[in-house]
Amino acid sequence: MSTYEIKFSVNGNDEILAVRGEETLLRALRRVGYVEVKLSCEGGDCGACAVLLDGVAVNACLVFVAQADGCEITTVRGVGTEDDLHPVQEQLIEKGGVQCGFCTPGIVVSAKALLDENPEPTREDIQRGLAGNLCRCTGYKKIFEAVSAAARQMKEGGDS
Amino acid sequence: MEFLRAASVDEALAAAGDGAAFVAGGTNLVPDVLFGRKKIARAVDISRLDELRFIEEADGKIRIGALATVTDLLDSRLIRDAAPPLYESALEFAGPLVRNRASVAGNLMDASPAADLAPPLLSQDAVVELASGEGERVLPLSEFFLDYRKTAARPEELMTAVVIDPLGTADRCAYYKLQLRRAMAIAVVGVAVVLRMEESVCEQAAIGMGAVAAVPYRASAAEAHLRGKEIGEAEIEAAAAAAADGARPIDDVRASGAYRRKMCGVLVRRLLKKALGMPHAAAV
Repeated sequence: MSTYEIKFSVNGNDEILAVRGEETLLRALRRVGYVEVKLSCEGGDCGACAVLLDGVAVNACLVFVAQADGCEITTVRGVGTEDDLHPVQEQLIEKGGVQCGFCTPGIVVSAKALLDENPEPTREDIQRGLAGNLCRCTGYKKIFEAVSAAARQMKEGGDS
Repeated sequence: MEFLRAASVDEALAAAGDGAAFVAGGTNLVPDVLFGRKKIARAVDISRLDELRFIEEADGKIRIGALATVTDLLDSRLIRDAAPPLYESALEFAGPLVRNRASVAGNLMDASPAADLAPPLLSQDAVVELASGEGERVLPLSEFFLDYRKTAARPEELMTAVVIDPLGTADRCAYYKLQLRRAMAIAVVGVAVVLRMEESVCEQAAIGMGAVAAVPYRASAAEAHLRGKEIGEAEIEAAAAAAADGARPIDDVRASGAYRRKMCGVLVRRLLKKALGMPHAAAV
């Protein structure tokens, strides 16, 4: 069985891994402890494993880990920390956009990517931006409200 | 599975064949390998071949590099202006996480009957460019899909670009993806229509169909009812009936074959009316 040594950074930490050719980025990240990246459908349908790969939001289950050699990966814990939450995280708490919480890491990553590209999204922009992330608890309404509020919060922060 | 990252197109071609598969975005291939639907001896990673990632206007055509992503289509002014059905199909394609990785060539090479980009590309007379160690060849997309998940590309061939005719002021077009939810859905039926008008006469008609046969295809019989005609209700009805007749849909979890066939007629009728700005087309 072929194994390969690869290097990448996760939330600014350099990682060196021995990987198999067919191993996915999702499984490799979880194997070395980044279990905030959630394993669910493994088919690109649910978005629970969303990460930023060189700044682009992708499903970690749809990438061979060897393809990520040399890349910068950001998980939900790189978007914000407990002591320094990203506005999306703050507003998900504030608006009640988290119930069971399983989809939340992916939602945060997709919402951050959306707001980085489009700081003043309409409701439709937000719905489209999160279209690859399934949530079975909230009905999405409070999630959309949270992203909208996060956009306003970031704009006000930027103006001050 | 062996993994090899190609640093150039030549290196990719040299590593092809013998059970190898090219992997770009991986959105189809990675889960196919994970779940054992595809066994490959070697994945040849082409995802960093930036020379294959472009969208450009050249010699009156639009050339789309094999590795242009679906997000790249949405970000392209050229696609938005000169390939509206392709732009609209990209809007309906999966969700942003998949669009950011999935490549145009990957969508075609995967050869799903429901490949979202196929109907609009067919409606703009797409030609695919294939490269191998023996040289390059071009093939109309309408001759590329041979049978269910089977293409004319040989195992050692790499798709390098897709070339389409830009739409201009004489062209009228419309696209619709019938799907069971608003995102992340596999098409029940996909239809793209393009009509080139000379005054009130239709000079050229192109109708691309998806998810209603073993392969995406051009509805030639329906087109024949429009080409060279002044299009009125009678021509539209004849084209819609021919589109429904020509479909070879299957029953599956998303819809029955009978429903799909009926929708072929309904959608072709609506899209022709929409493209021509005729009334009663608001439903699409």
